[in-house]
Amino acid sequence: MIPSDHFTKFYNEVFKFLETQGDDALHAYWLEISKNQERHTLELFREKGLEGMRQYWDHIRVEENCDLDLDLNNDRLELRMNACPSLGKVMDNDAEPMARYCDHCAGWIGPIMDKLGYHLVYDVIDRQKPQCVMRVFKDVKLAQEAEGQAKLLMGWPGKTGKDTAD
Amino acid sequence: MMTPDDKPLRYNEGGNVHMDFHGATDTTIDFIIKNYGIDVMDQIFARVGHDVYADIRSHLLAGNVGELVKHWHHFFEREGAEFHINVETDEVILTVSHCTAYAHVKKIAGKVSDHFCDQTIKTNHALAQGTPFAIDTEITGPGSCRQIIRRRP
Repeated sequence: MIPSDHFTKFYNEVFKFLETQGDDALHAYWLEISKNQERHTLELFREKGLEGMRQYWDHIRVEENCDLDLDLNNDRLELRMNACPSLGKVMDNDAEPMARYCDHCAGWIGPIMDKLGYHLVYDVIDRQKPQCVMRVFKDVKLAQEAEGQAKLLMGWPGKTGKDTAD
Repeated sequence: MMTPDDKPLRYNEGGNVHMDFHGATDTTIDFIIKNYGIDVMDQIFARVGHDVYADIRSHLLAGNVGELVKHWHHFFEREGAEFHINVETDEVILTVSHCTAYAHVKKIAGKVSDHFCDQTIKTNHALAQGTPFAIDTEITGPGSCRQIIRRRP
């Protein structure tokens, strides 16, 4: 058994292989993970909207030992990750981290939000630091405004980010 | 064969456990095998055994299985598995009678990949490769196995 504590290190090895196959391979995998995650999120998000999303990520905050803040408003949910254990474990690793490890998060969350008609704005800020800000909006105009303020805006299959080159 | 020490494991997580990661592992195994073949999946597990667990492997290379046994104790305890580790003079046997990873995937996904246990078989193989030890993994049923460390002849 690869312990659940070490899943992210396994994930990192999968990403490194898929990166050698090109971006389409990575995107196909993120979509597969997104489908997997639908079983934990889709009905909850569909039925309870932003409050359902807050509940899901609060559950993640506890189970994955995250240092994160959640701010629920009428028009958006904001998740501020202060210390991401996923990237943290990949960096505290005897195997080499994949340079674009952070990209997978928007890679699986974005397609779910697209499916439900919400607008995801995922600012990774810096791929070398285990911090990010995720915002989910009901209104596309508010999302577009937030995109303009992002430092490192992530894309996902079907949506181009502001920085996908490095 | 066993040189106990009080140093913490290289990876020594505490806190809560997110069992749903096992569902993502199951999905990943089927995705990689379907799209790239089982050899690629095995190569990825080999990198986990060689590179991610380089510290455990370095202990095996030095002739010490103690670090791997400590790893087994720590993580099977954390995951709430039913298991027993029997340390003999010539071999160490880990008997897992209820693998909570397997059970959790079965619960959330309804079925478990035919290759789910390859993560154990192939990673163990890679850990032991080139060391004085062999690690044989016998799947004894759905969610149960025996993992045996023996010094190579």
